[in-house]
Amino acid sequence: MAPKTRGPRAGRAAGATSWAFLSPWVIAFGVFGLYPFAFSLAASFTDYSPIRAGGARFVGFANYARALADPAFWSALGNTALFVVGTIPFTTALALALALAVQPAFRGRTIFRVGFFVPSVVSVVVLSLVFKGLYAPDGALDGLLRVLHLPAPAWLLDPRTALPAIMAMDVWSASGYYMIIFLAGLEAIPRELYDAARLEGASPRAQFTRITLPLLKPTLLFVLVVNTVRSLQIFAEVFVMTRGGPLHSTTTVVYYLYEEAFYRFELGYASAVGYLLFAVTLALAWLQMKTIRPAGAR
Amino acid sequence: MSAGAGAVNDAAHPAGPPPAWGPSLARWLWLGPVLLSMLLPFAWMVAVSLAPGAGGSFVRALAGPWDLGHYRTLFAAAGLARYLLNSALVAVAVVSLNVATAALVGYTLGRRRVPGERWWTLGIVATLMLPRQVLMIPLYLVLARMHLLDSYGALILPFAVDAFSIFLVRQYVAALPLELEEAARVDGASDWLVFRRVVLPLLKPVLAVVAIQSFLANWNSFLFPLIFVDSDRLRTLPVGLALLSQTEHSVDWGFLMAGSTVASLPVLAVFLAFQRQILSGLLAGAEK
Repeated sequence: MAPKTRGPRAGRAAGATSWAFLSPWVIAFGVFGLYPFAFSLAASFTDYSPIRAGGARFVGFANYARALADPAFWSALGNTALFVVGTIPFTTALALALALAVQPAFRGRTIFRVGFFVPSVVSVVVLSLVFKGLYAPDGALDGLLRVLHLPAPAWLLDPRTALPAIMAMDVWSASGYYMIIFLAGLEAIPRELYDAARLEGASPRAQFTRITLPLLKPTLLFVLVVNTVRSLQIFAEVFVMTRGGPLHSTTTVVYYLYEEAFYRFELGYASAVGYLLFAVTLALAWLQMKTIRPAGAR
Repeated sequence: MSAGAGAVNDAAHPAGPPPAWGPSLARWLWLGPVLLSMLLPFAWMVAVSLAPGAGGSFVRALAGPWDLGHYRTLFAAAGLARYLLNSALVAVAVVSLNVATAALVGYTLGRRRVPGERWWTLGIVATLMLPRQVLMIPLYLVLARMHLLDSYGALILPFAVDAFSIFLVRQYVAALPLELEEAARVDGASDWLVFRRVVLPLLKPVLAVVAIQSFLANWNSFLFPLIFVDSDRLRTLPVGLALLSQTEHSVDWGFLMAGSTVASLPVLAVFLAFQRQILSGLLAGAEK
């Protein structure tokens, strides 16, 4: 047989069957993707609220202006920014360290790869409840700190420590997931490069900075972008652990949006907030791609 | 190009001689404590759930005595059985619909038999990037208009077709040889018959990955089920648990941790049983 994978009939015109096969996605994408997306974009320019009589009025950019003038929005954006800046460097470093630790072959390696990944398969609601219990006054963490004669802050009840406490949980729970992504990147680096470097007498440190890190750049970029997008949307942790408090110290943008939409029913305004966050997300992802350009175009 | 096939093959190195015990032991000595400390919160969860008088104290919980009192209250008084049933029903429906549609759509796109295939695939990748916080309000309104809010439909239909699953199957199909399908067509089989009898069996490995990943994602899903459903009798496990924790049970740690343990067991069982497929599926996904 010819080694060509695409036979003459493969490129033939679409039959009715092909369209029938595609239809589930076309319908779902239209009804649950494209239409809501366009609808919410339109709604963000109206004062739409299901509890107000008279239907939606076009208000131009008023919703966007209102968000940008609302201190509560800026406070939520600030909390979200702190969350991103305060977790991602630690999560990334921990994930890379774990990946490097479990990459070489050793007996029982799978136990560690699987074990570190366990927090990633457990529901965020469960993780949040567990940490709420650990952080509770007279909880397990307080007990441990008392044994060590260290001061025990009020954690989730203190506006100064509540957000950092949630951030610490996020670093713990997310690292295993990104460890696996880093492992994929590490396994893709050709062994021969290290063999050659060893022959040249390169130290392990030099091998890491000259071979591993540069070749890991695409993976690093992927991890940073995916984790940034995820961290900008932190919601369940806040809902379960603090409900945005105390004193709004843990209100993230998505939690703010949730309250505006489903407590105050300001759906037009909340849509605008959603698009503002979307714009921030795109800008940050773009910035990361600009800064960490992978070595050699892929 | 072979990434699709790699998605289901063992991602580990080719089999070499088994590693020596000495260096392995050294690694265990420092990596072991790290792993243990990372799993400590789960140990607390299980211990506290089993010790009725312990409150939130790890030490008292470990001292015992242990019984299943919290679990009994949970199922008898708190309606946990209903949440569990809802989660299971929704998961089964979403996973089956996901596997079926990913197979059909991914296969069709992978074989490039549709004009503008490139654009369709691009559309799918774009769906992956649609932010959930932007979709949450309009999806709510769409479901309201379809009179699906507060029903199983709201928990199932929006998640029945998943872009990532389609993409996985598409990549896998693109790397499959065409000969078998061609032979079946020459024998006069219809498109449907070719799909059903020839293609589907070949897709089993990638569909397993799709099923597992969509189960894990759906079982833990929180934001959308929280918004789309109002009645207590329709709540899934994560939503029921989160709302239970904000009632009079808010500091009843043994009780809440019993619920958390029940919610975690199914995903942990699936993960441990299929860890190879899950991790290698992720490894392959990351190569893109």
